[in-house]
Amino acid sequence: MNAFVPLTASHETALNPTTLTCAKWAFTTRRVARDAAIGLCCDLKAARAGDLVLGRVERIGSHKRLQLASGRPSQLYSGELVIVVCGARYAPDQFEGLAELTVSGSDLLAGGGVLGRMRNRNGKMAAPTRIRPIGLLTGADGTPLNLAQYAIPARPRPAIPVIGAVGASMNSGKTTAVASLVHGLVRAGHRVAAIKATGTGAFGDYNAYLDAGAHHVADFVDAGMVSTYLEPIPRISKATDALLAGAAADGCDIAVVELADGLLQKETAALIADPAYRAQFAGFLLAVPDALAATGGVATLAKIGIRPLALTGLITQSPMATTEAEAVTGYDIASREKLRDPAFATVLFSRARVIANSANARVM
Amino acid sequence: MKGDDDMLDHSGNHAPASGCQVSRIARLGTENLCCWTSVPGPHNPERPPLVAIHGLHRGAKQQASLLAPQVAASGQTVIAPLFDRDNWPDYQQVVRKRRADLALLSALDDLAMAGVSRTDRVELCGYSGGAQFAHRFAMLYPHRVARLSLIAAGWYTFLDSKPFPYGLRAPKSRHTSWQPRSLGDLATFLSLPIRVLIGTEDDVVDENTRSGPEIDAQQGRTRRERAARWVSAIEDAARLSGIRPNIKLIELDGCGHDFRACLAHPEARRHLFLNPQIPLTR
Repeated sequence: MNAFVPLTASHETALNPTTLTCAKWAFTTRRVARDAAIGLCCDLKAARAGDLVLGRVERIGSHKRLQLASGRPSQLYSGELVIVVCGARYAPDQFEGLAELTVSGSDLLAGGGVLGRMRNRNGKMAAPTRIRPIGLLTGADGTPLNLAQYAIPARPRPAIPVIGAVGASMNSGKTTAVASLVHGLVRAGHRVAAIKATGTGAFGDYNAYLDAGAHHVADFVDAGMVSTYLEPIPRISKATDALLAGAAADGCDIAVVELADGLLQKETAALIADPAYRAQFAGFLLAVPDALAATGGVATLAKIGIRPLALTGLITQSPMATTEAEAVTGYDIASREKLRDPAFATVLFSRARVIANSANARVM
Repeated sequence: MKGDDDMLDHSGNHAPASGCQVSRIARLGTENLCCWTSVPGPHNPERPPLVAIHGLHRGAKQQASLLAPQVAASGQTVIAPLFDRDNWPDYQQVVRKRRADLALLSALDDLAMAGVSRTDRVELCGYSGGAQFAHRFAMLYPHRVARLSLIAAGWYTFLDSKPFPYGLRAPKSRHTSWQPRSLGDLATFLSLPIRVLIGTEDDVVDENTRSGPEIDAQQGRTRRERAARWVSAIEDAARLSGIRPNIKLIELDGCGHDFRACLAHPEARRHLFLNPQIPLTR
């Protein structure tokens, strides 16, 4: 079936096209021109975040399925070939890992196809699926193919209203909030972009945005990064500008942008603390799982001068926690149903536009 | 459906004397809204359709039939939704009970899919209770409205801090989905071309006029007084927001509370049925 002859680390060789056809290409490779891959570099120590990796599944662990470039999950089998991307991951509920490959085997850090070295694992997680890297895909010039080569062009930040979504933690309800607000805005007749600006490459959020009816969906992978963990803040910032410019060029009149993980996560914290970065946001939704997180989240944002447009998230599943949070923070808590309501979504849009217009006026 | 005269015509179609075909389309959108529509022969899908909202006595078909001949020459489609009494008893308050706003949005999406229009915006016109609906809908979704024409509304939502539906503040009751709004985010609404038409004889307080010390103090006693006060309030709010107001009060000499009579008035025709080539006068 997969007639691939393993190479030694000293070899750089041409790649049998059949190998690429047989292999499963992960979701994070979706922008790659497959016919550009014509060789293999087996110097795995040289791997950088974003490099494409041909690997063989050794042992099925936590991730039993690979998210394919076509947008569907695929059951993984020991021994099969996969094309994944070398990258890091920060996910307190799952794994933390670095963009490092090892000949003896590496860790599938995310189902979207992120391969690296696991450094920390949440106690509820099984060991990661192990993939033995065979080599880095190389192009005609012999250098490894990297997602950065397939990034959308860098463009200056456009002047469209942007609503951000931040959370107290991973799995606090940000994506549901973004999808719900997108749906409400679409129902109201807006042309909406949904963008994930930070995180690790996977199709869950991407597909959730599409399902909500967003006219334009993009994430940091489209900007050339498999993960934003440990990436320089200026690079992430420019990537957000480019993603928003893509949305504006696609005719969107508003963008909803999700920042992954919690407010205390390193890159998220640095980005929203950067006045130039947060200036593009007319306002933020804050997703929280409980009342104490609501209090802490509001206080954390207040330190950098942000008053969220609304609080939302998992907390809305608990009427009692919602009442507690409303009493302490003074905010109304917006359930997913409320965010999906075109009347409420339009209020948020209008407020965002007012703020965006006044910010643009100050710049001019 | 008692009293919903629109529903008594089971033929599905109706051709008024003008020759403009008026058709009934049932079960539009997620809320199964019925609409009477007239699509003229040389149809201009780029022109925002005229969406006519009936009063408390309903009569969507009558509105479509009367309006269609007036706008057919410009290729404009007429859409007259029927918010029947059983399903939308309080449609004029837009967000109550079955959410008339959601029903209309969804029906418009269906009609757009059917090729009736290619624009996201509509020219919204309401009579009496329909004018109540129209201005509240436009406050919620000003980006969906190209022009707003209000004929003989009984009362209005003012841009003040009184609870909805009298003002902009959210009511204490959680049974309504009206969202708290500020003047600032009403900029698009305040920029709309708005025409408020009222008969000079429409100054009788009848059983359909919402009355009481509070509303009378806020809005005036009669429809005529209330129209004048609301227009003035919108002008003030626009100026306060740095927006040049585009709202005008048109008094229809000799008209009472009668849709047909209002429509026949030359001033009403002049302001309601614009040649699309002629910009609105300010």
